[in-house]
Amino acid sequence: MPTLIEDTIAAISTPLGKSGLGVIRLSGRDSRRIVLSFFSTPRNRLPDRVPVLGNLVEPSTRDVLDQAVVTCFEAPRSFTREDVVEISCHGSPVILKTALGLALAAGARLASPGEFTLRAFLRGRIDLVQAEAIRDLIEAQTLYQAKVAQQQLSGSLSRKVTPAKQTLVELIALLEAGIDFADDDVSVLSEAEIRTRINSVEAGLLPLQSTFAFGKIVNAGLTIALVGRPNVGKSSVFNRLLREERAIVTEFPGTTRDLVAETTQVEGIPVRLVDTAGIRAARDPVEQLGVDRSVEALADADQVLFVVDGSQPWTRLDAEVQTRLEGRTHLFVINKIDLEQQLDEKSLDIRSKAVCRVSARTGEGIEYLRRALFMEYGQLEGYEGLVTNVRHERLIQQALNALEMSRNSLKSSMPHEVILLDLHSALKGLSALTGETTVEDVLGTIFSTFCIGK
Amino acid sequence: MAGAFDEAYDVVVIGGGHAGCEAAMAAARMGMNTALYTMNVDLIAQMSCNPAIGGIAKGHIVREIDALGGVMGRVIDRVGIQFRLLNSSRGPAVWSPRAQADKQSYRVEMRRVLEQQERLRIKQAEAVAILRDGGRATGLELRDGRKVQAQAVILTTGTFLNGLIHIGDHRYSAGRSGETPSIPLADSIKSIGFEWGRMKTGTPPRLDSRTINFSVLEEQKGDSRPTPFSFETGAITQPQVSCFITYTNDRVHQIIRDNMSRSPLYSGQIQSIGPRYCPSVEDKVVKFPDKLRHQLFLEPEGLNTNETYVNGLSTSMPSDVQMMLVRAIPGLENAEIIRPGYAIEYDFVQPTELLPTLETKKVEGLYHAGQINGTTGYEEAACQGLMAGINAALKVQGNSSLVLERSQAYIGILIDDLVTKGTNEPYRMFTSRAEFRLHLRIDNADQRLTPLAHRIGLVSEAAFARFRAKQGRMERLAAHLRLAKVEVDSGRIAADQALKRPEVRIESCLDSVPSELREQMSWEEMKSVETSIKYEGYLKQQTAEVEKLRKAESRRIPVDIEYHAIPGLSREMIEKLSRIRPTTIGQASRIPGVTPAALCILHIHLEASSNRKETA
Repeated sequence: MPTLIEDTIAAISTPLGKSGLGVIRLSGRDSRRIVLSFFSTPRNRLPDRVPVLGNLVEPSTRDVLDQAVVTCFEAPRSFTREDVVEISCHGSPVILKTALGLALAAGARLASPGEFTLRAFLRGRIDLVQAEAIRDLIEAQTLYQAKVAQQQLSGSLSRKVTPAKQTLVELIALLEAGIDFADDDVSVLSEAEIRTRINSVEAGLLPLQSTFAFGKIVNAGLTIALVGRPNVGKSSVFNRLLREERAIVTEFPGTTRDLVAETTQVEGIPVRLVDTAGIRAARDPVEQLGVDRSVEALADADQVLFVVDGSQPWTRLDAEVQTRLEGRTHLFVINKIDLEQQLDEKSLDIRSKAVCRVSARTGEGIEYLRRALFMEYGQLEGYEGLVTNVRHERLIQQALNALEMSRNSLKSSMPHEVILLDLHSALKGLSALTGETTVEDVLGTIFSTFCIGK
Repeated sequence: MAGAFDEAYDVVVIGGGHAGCEAAMAAARMGMNTALYTMNVDLIAQMSCNPAIGGIAKGHIVREIDALGGVMGRVIDRVGIQFRLLNSSRGPAVWSPRAQADKQSYRVEMRRVLEQQERLRIKQAEAVAILRDGGRATGLELRDGRKVQAQAVILTTGTFLNGLIHIGDHRYSAGRSGETPSIPLADSIKSIGFEWGRMKTGTPPRLDSRTINFSVLEEQKGDSRPTPFSFETGAITQPQVSCFITYTNDRVHQIIRDNMSRSPLYSGQIQSIGPRYCPSVEDKVVKFPDKLRHQLFLEPEGLNTNETYVNGLSTSMPSDVQMMLVRAIPGLENAEIIRPGYAIEYDFVQPTELLPTLETKKVEGLYHAGQINGTTGYEEAACQGLMAGINAALKVQGNSSLVLERSQAYIGILIDDLVTKGTNEPYRMFTSRAEFRLHLRIDNADQRLTPLAHRIGLVSEAAFARFRAKQGRMERLAAHLRLAKVEVDSGRIAADQALKRPEVRIESCLDSVPSELREQMSWEEMKSVETSIKYEGYLKQQTAEVEKLRKAESRRIPVDIEYHAIPGLSREMIEKLSRIRPTTIGQASRIPGVTPAALCILHIHLEASSNRKETA
């Protein structure tokens, strides 16, 4: 499909990083409509050149993402001479990324680098720019596209998508061959075989999808439980992560008798930290209550920090806690590294995905721990990575949705040409990640798979 | 100038094959004084390859030709001797009719149709040159020196341009087996400066049916209820016959391998590209060594001949090898070859030389249709002939052209693919080429196209009235189905909702439909209503995409646009756009390699220049 100038583009226009303010800009005739689909303001309108205060809202869940000031600049009195809308919200990369995602979901297209300027030129706003200069811009853009394509081709994402896409192309070729060459000696796939192949495409994509879980935790947040035997300094670690004194810290084991939960933001993500009572055989009913609740909290948590004391040798109680964590992914946190170390790590069977050495007292290692918390949810990348990621995530989601629909069609015994509608739509999503797959490619697969031709 | 010509017509067609027949008929029916020049009037509409019309996607094209007022469908319906609806186990979008033809009768019947057409003259003569005045075609020159004047010239030369036949290491110049090629005409066309190339195609040997042992072969009967191609055909009346199926085996494959050095395809004698979907048996054995056998269809060439076509055994092996390999095939142990198979190489002109009307960009008034454009297949040729004939007539009349969109017809897809992307192998239609396959069905071809054909005068008032009445009946039935309730496992629901379930058929929804309406409707009409209801949801899903396409197609690019004068276009984009010279933004977007940024610039440029014109 042609990308005509009439579509609406969107981009984050402030440099990414932790800053007080971040701006997302849209340009094109649908800018207003798109922004109003996720920006809630009492009068539900955006007058020309009047800043409006309201909330950025996830439309499906009605969850409030952030407060924002939105300003509309009606065409032609705007930078691009099109309707331009600017959203000023907090500068958290996560919020910006999510808000941009909402704009794209509502119909905006991710702007290419320099595209706002390009539009400004094409609409005659920047009239001093020479034709030569703009040609450089276009060529730079093509160069950039080529570079991005190259990165994607050799990049890990593309490498991961390609096998799934290949399976999908083969499935499409087999089904197309069954339709276009029904009179030839072409075997037709059974419903079960088709389902197996759809599942295998999906199985190739789901792990990718989960690497995008980062996006999901933005709204829902994360619950993180700290566990460990008494007096290893869980509460101190907790406080360090919160950057404030909240839990009761004493020198006596078993002080934390109840759960202490606190919500904070780490790297812009809402995090509910749960400091559990030390898990041990309780000496009184009150403590028992705390221990029971710790066990529950452990079950509910998205992420577990297993805290041990580095200044002490490994104890039976540590081992007991470790047994409870069996089968759960967790981070192994060695606290009190500012003291003399007694813990013999080598003798331990650490089944954690990462080991963090910290000192809650001095703060050493806490930043690393903070980052480690989000490791499995994807990293916080720089600008380009972040933007492409939003796009990748949407494309893979599109493919997964289409596969689901194709499975439904298969289940209700729809003919293959109907199932193919969804498979082609899944392919479109994947092709956008790895380069286009044309009819000729599908035909090529058919002709090399089957001996077609009477 | 006028005095220099011996004869004068509005439209002349060079070539009497499937493209030429449709082109000449369309032009004449649209009021043009038309002449069709062929080297042999006895061989008009000759089926030079297999004796069949239709097949998957091709059957769709024939329906579309018929809906547009073409003749192929009507003729095959009168001479078809075995009708089968292919893909009938699948959904209606990919049902496609196919028929074995009585080859000789097809030719006779088509000639009869042509001869009855007012304003159409059939002439036997060899054209040797296209006459031009500057950038305009003015007529053609014949072998004997006579000059024929024309407002529009349609070239439908098939495989005749520099045709070269190969049988083993034996080769000779020919247009088809036993016919002389067009060599001077090929030179005349090349002198215009078109980008051209060579293609290759092949045919199998034909056998004497008296020498085939049918008793050991698998019989393939036609449908008990034949599906006609034409919307105007009531019933198929002529006697129906069977085809038979056999297979190659290891012995056949061994004979081919042993003699590979004698195959012109593998000896290096033939360099040009043949179709991947219609490989020679040599190719099949080489490229699919693991396949133990290849299916062959024995197809009768007619009711009054013993000649039998061996579909699947296309070869250019020497005659003695052909004899050996035929006799190694079960049922063909004693078979006699009437004529051997052969490969033919011929010139084609890159179809990117054409506008979507099939008029050449270099010579105004000159149109190319059929195999000269790099296509293969009678149906593909015929539909191009029809569209070239229509557009030539519209141009002579001074009316605007008729270009079908990709969302409108397979014919639109075929021509758009050709003129936008060109081709390097013989182009054949497949349903997988259609973005909107569920919409492009045989049952609604008339709904899609007949109103267009009526507007330009290709559908008679009587036929159009029948079309309107049919649409009326179908609309009434659909209205009844919205109101009627039927019983399904989850209770009583509206019939049109029930029909969306794959297992529900229209037959079970007719109880409350007035019997007067039911009796008026044919089975096909009721099925068509069922199909549109069944696909409704899926078609709606695609509406936005169809709309987007339409919008892009409606943005026209002026013919005289100078791409190098548009600021911001890179040299690569200028080159690509100047080569194809797309007529719409939509077409520009389908040129391989044209970037969104380039489209964006082009679009703005067009907008800006139209604004300038308005204010001027």
